[in-house]
Amino acid sequence: MAVYKKTYRPYDGPLTAAGPRLLVIPRYAFDDLRKSRFLAIFFLSTFLYPLICALLIWLEHNASALRVLGVGAQLSRVITINATFFLSLLGWQSMLALFLAAFVGPGRISPDLSNGGLALYLARPFSRLEYVVGKMLVLLILMSLMTWVPGLLLFGLQGYLEGWSWITANMRLASAMFFSAWIWILLVCLLALALSAWVKWKPAAGGLMFGLFFVAAGFGTAIDLVQNTKWGHLMQIFNVVGTVWLYLFEGNNPTSTGAVFFRVTPGEDLPIWSCCAVLLLLGGMCLYMLARKIRGAEVVR
Amino acid sequence: MTPENKPASLITFRDVSRFYGEVLGINRVNLAIPPGVTSLVGPNGSGKTTLMNLLTGLIRPTQGSIDVLGVSPDHPEKLGRFVGYCAQFDAFPKGMTGYQFLYSYLLLHGYTAAESAERTETALHRVNMFGAAQRPVGAYSKGMRQRIKLAQAIAHDPQVLVLDEPLNGLDPMARAETIALFREWGEKGRHVIASSHVLHEVDRISDQVILLSHGYVVAEGEIQGVRSEVKEQPMQILVRCDRPDVLASRLFERQGAVEAKISTDGKGLLLRTKDADGFYLMLNRVVLEQGLEVESVAPADDDVNSVYQYLIGAEGATV
Repeated sequence: MAVYKKTYRPYDGPLTAAGPRLLVIPRYAFDDLRKSRFLAIFFLSTFLYPLICALLIWLEHNASALRVLGVGAQLSRVITINATFFLSLLGWQSMLALFLAAFVGPGRISPDLSNGGLALYLARPFSRLEYVVGKMLVLLILMSLMTWVPGLLLFGLQGYLEGWSWITANMRLASAMFFSAWIWILLVCLLALALSAWVKWKPAAGGLMFGLFFVAAGFGTAIDLVQNTKWGHLMQIFNVVGTVWLYLFEGNNPTSTGAVFFRVTPGEDLPIWSCCAVLLLLGGMCLYMLARKIRGAEVVR
Repeated sequence: MTPENKPASLITFRDVSRFYGEVLGINRVNLAIPPGVTSLVGPNGSGKTTLMNLLTGLIRPTQGSIDVLGVSPDHPEKLGRFVGYCAQFDAFPKGMTGYQFLYSYLLLHGYTAAESAERTETALHRVNMFGAAQRPVGAYSKGMRQRIKLAQAIAHDPQVLVLDEPLNGLDPMARAETIALFREWGEKGRHVIASSHVLHEVDRISDQVILLSHGYVVAEGEIQGVRSEVKEQPMQILVRCDRPDVLASRLFERQGAVEAKISTDGKGLLLRTKDADGFYLMLNRVVLEQGLEVESVAPADDDVNSVYQYLIGAEGATV
């Protein structure tokens, strides 16, 4: 056997922090998204509703503008900056975020699985969890920009115009906006990645994502009608999420029916614990699906 | 050296088995791989890729333990720092150029942007791919893809380089350069572990071989050592001398002689014997007693190809 003198010296220079390394994964994904004209236009158009909301807030605090428009008293009656206002914003933006995730999400993991790229990531100082978080970052950032970021900016605008007392009195709205949006973002991201890991054909994965929301809701309604119960609502993800949102915004005694697209039918509201359990179950299933697929090697050749 | 008393310069497998459901990947493998170039040889499905995947931490053993220079593959954040892996099959994230491919993976290692850029260029030059670095990997030819895969495996200057069929698709010039690279890396005291089906190239590359068949390690070690252990197959020895007939007649006076062929030019004797050591002693005596003029004496079947045929057979069945 050959005996070699060891002349190899490993690198002992500085390394970057582990956290920012995750940003390497979405590094080129954002470039790809920017190149898609449809996605770029769609993403920019999602800021239309927050801009209208900002305009309404500004108008409500600008007496001279209201006088010019001649809608002073009427506008104040129609537009009230309260939980319903922010729930509506969240509902709209969350639905748009779902569409974006259905377009962007399925392309996150499936190409790595079909191209064998996963082994390249996992053969480095990089864990499976870091890979999933890295892949999720694209969606997390985009969906955050569409949901809680404009929500909190609008809250800040209203607080700036209304005064500190309004902020302290309505702090719950800000925290509810933040946590509600994150519940939705995490749920949709996990679903998108799990489907991306299991369904390689992107259009099918996107379609399946919508199917999960709308077809399951249909099943839930059928169960309600056949069994004369309200528990079928647990299969309606919009309803389940809407119930949690309503609780976060208004507590146990809501004055509204929740966010647009996420309405809770009065008298048919589900216990908050059951909705939380459904969301945890769904999230757990997605994590299990990801854990099954995100592996460096699995194929017996 | 036994796996039990290894220092941290060895890669050790202790009683390692890996099953894919009911399908056997590898079974009860015990290995201690020293620095240098080690080739994994075996037919398709023999467990070479499984062994490499286990070594790089991409899969976990069903039972047993693995130790790569003192680090368990259960810790990718430590292992990935000094292991480079070149997969057998094309594996590229979609849409990246060759440069982006290398650069982004170096950033994942934690190198700074400047360090990553420098290492990317060095690796690209090393595999002669600098000119094509700005082209998408998807547009590369088979040989270029193989070279860029090799570049990503060596870019972070790993101490352990794991290469699954690294010479596939390379033209003769690139093969020669790649083999030279492996030898250079092995000589620096690194571990270069490569699988290959091209047995004559394995001979040129390897300091030692590991022969696998049906998930079992059939043999491991320096190829001449492995060959000498295959006692049931008579050793072939080629002797070039002035009177091969004399040598042949003396050969058959001994036990263990199986076959002797005199070459057509009358100057060579190809013999098969089960007692090679005894033959060499006898050859010395014949030279002294009869004044035989010997031009050369060389084993004719202590290469990987012969050992492979003896131990695994043409159809991959263990002999």
